Amino acid sequence: MNRPVLSVKDLAITYHSASGPVPAVRGVTFDLAAGDSLGLAGESGCGKSTLANALLRLLPDGTITSGQVMIDGRDLFALSPGGLRAVRWTTGAIVFQGALHALNPVQTAGKQVREPMLIHQTVGSEDEARVRSRQLFERVGLPANQLDAYPHQLSGGQRQRVLIAMALACDPRLLIADEPTTALDLMVQAQVLALIAELRRESSLSLIFITHDLSVLTYVADRLAIMYAGKIVESGPSLSVFENATHPYTRALAAAFPTIGDQTSRLAPSGLAGDPPTPGALPAGCPFHPRCPLAEDRCQTAEPVLRKAGQAHRAACVLV
Amino acid sequence: MSSIVSLRDVHVHFGASRAVDGVSVDVKPGEVLALVGESGSGKTTLIRAVQGLQPVTAGEIIYTSAAGATAGPGRGNRGVQMIFQDPTGALNPRQTIYEIVAEGLRIRKESQNEVERVGRALSRAGLRPPERFFPMYPHQISGGQRQRVVIAGAMVMEPDLLLADEPVASLDASIRGEILALMLELVGDTGLSILVVTHDLGLAWNIADRVAVMYLGRIVELGPTEQILGEPRHPYTRALLSVVPETTRMEQQILVGEIPDSRRVPVACRFHPRCPLLQSGMLPAEVASRCTTEDPGPVDRNAGSAAACWAVT
Repeated sequence: MNRPVLSVKDLAITYHSASGPVPAVRGVTFDLAAGDSLGLAGESGCGKSTLANALLRLLPDGTITSGQVMIDGRDLFALSPGGLRAVRWTTGAIVFQGALHALNPVQTAGKQVREPMLIHQTVGSEDEARVRSRQLFERVGLPANQLDAYPHQLSGGQRQRVLIAMALACDPRLLIADEPTTALDLMVQAQVLALIAELRRESSLSLIFITHDLSVLTYVADRLAIMYAGKIVESGPSLSVFENATHPYTRALAAAFPTIGDQTSRLAPSGLAGDPPTPGALPAGCPFHPRCPLAEDRCQTAEPVLRKAGQAHRAACVLV
Repeated sequence: MSSIVSLRDVHVHFGASRAVDGVSVDVKPGEVLALVGESGSGKTTLIRAVQGLQPVTAGEIIYTSAAGATAGPGRGNRGVQMIFQDPTGALNPRQTIYEIVAEGLRIRKESQNEVERVGRALSRAGLRPPERFFPMYPHQISGGQRQRVVIAGAMVMEPDLLLADEPVASLDASIRGEILALMLELVGDTGLSILVVTHDLGLAWNIADRVAVMYLGRIVELGPTEQILGEPRHPYTRALLSVVPETTRMEQQILVGEIPDSRRVPVACRFHPRCPLLQSGMLPAEVASRCTTEDPGPVDRNAGSAAACWAVT
């Protein structure tokens, strides 16, 4: 196996708030090999975006982190500010959800794509940056004349493509995509997913893709990790997790987005009673037990750990 | 066949923009009709017109109550109620749940049995016992419960028709199913009709009896859900279905570009510049020439199923 691009060990992240500490991520461990893709799924508040931001140290001041993140062989939490700047963009780059807010409204799309290259000196001159930005636009399927367009002149799908071009500007080894298609229409989502798949085929780009929609992940990710209340509760090869979900939460999440044509879901929407827990006030024992249709007495006392549930497939449930 | 509301060649134009450009469809008593389309298809403008929030440029929207009598236009018509996408934005943070749900009754000065009616609406929306929720504020309840309060605020008026604009798009995955199940339950219990606007074909599969697919201001395909989602005939519907992310799929047909600007609706068939069927070159020459010269027109609202496409026979 290649040296992992990313190796996360026992990562815990606690936010500071007026009402006390809020444990957003409570011990997450995984490796991502070069060229591999990992899909992270879960509902709001499960810690998936916190985890994504932590991978590039984009967390607010005062946040307490423990554990270890090795990115391309370097210890993320030991990096100097200068070292950190070099890791962002050139090693790992992130694409956010709200394509409108992530772009500067008073700069052209082209300038925003050129800027990281000039700052990180991955190009020798302004002219070289122009050539490279034109190539990037072509690569993400945008016409060259849109280099001079301002964000408001672009559609949602085009803005998302600009963000992807920006993320690729310094040729990173790892792309972190945080709900990049959630605000997009079905057809535009398909265009962006196809683009990401193509970029991965062309280079050995590694990918972390975050969403609440499991069905999207089976398309873009080789492996899936399902998060609940700050922990990974199930992980394994995408199809295995989607089709043979072991954890009752994964099953509910998979059933929430029906397969069209499947008669069991016709006129029978499937949900889960209750709400996701608040990170500051987690239930004792398995944090999923108050909503779990299969909960037993023992689930109220001990929090289960990840156990083998198949080939490279693990789940944190006493029923495994 | 009787209808709760009948749309006859409805147009809504904003200057040169033809947001809704000739829509004819009936909503029947007790049915869930899903209006499916992408941004820019005109689906939200259309539902606002049905609610009476948006004047129509041409055509007619004819409301009939379940009893068959003519009711007024949408805005003054308590029989038509609407719920929106974002429950947090729809609720006044300074009002208690009781005040929020009672507001519609108070505006209409229907103060008799107010407590009982508010309680019944909350129970119906699954917030039980209702008295527990009366004194609470929106921030004290969860996102899923907030959407239930929005639904209770609509149900307190005992409407015949509920209009829902992306009712679960901003909710978490696990809550989505609960709210959709509630909508189906309301139809079963009260005989309500629902017109739901969505870009989510899975939602249509979950709750709709019929589906109307919109493209650039028109309904391009209409019919029973199983048929439209199982055997779509319009090339646009087929393309949309092919890109629903699922594990078992048909071959993807990713259309290039986005819906054109409604100020510049293509001539003849409005879908022809993006139509994969036309671009495939497989169509007989006489059909292909019609696609670029003649408008297939809107679908017939009285047909069991229909597709506005020259290649569909």
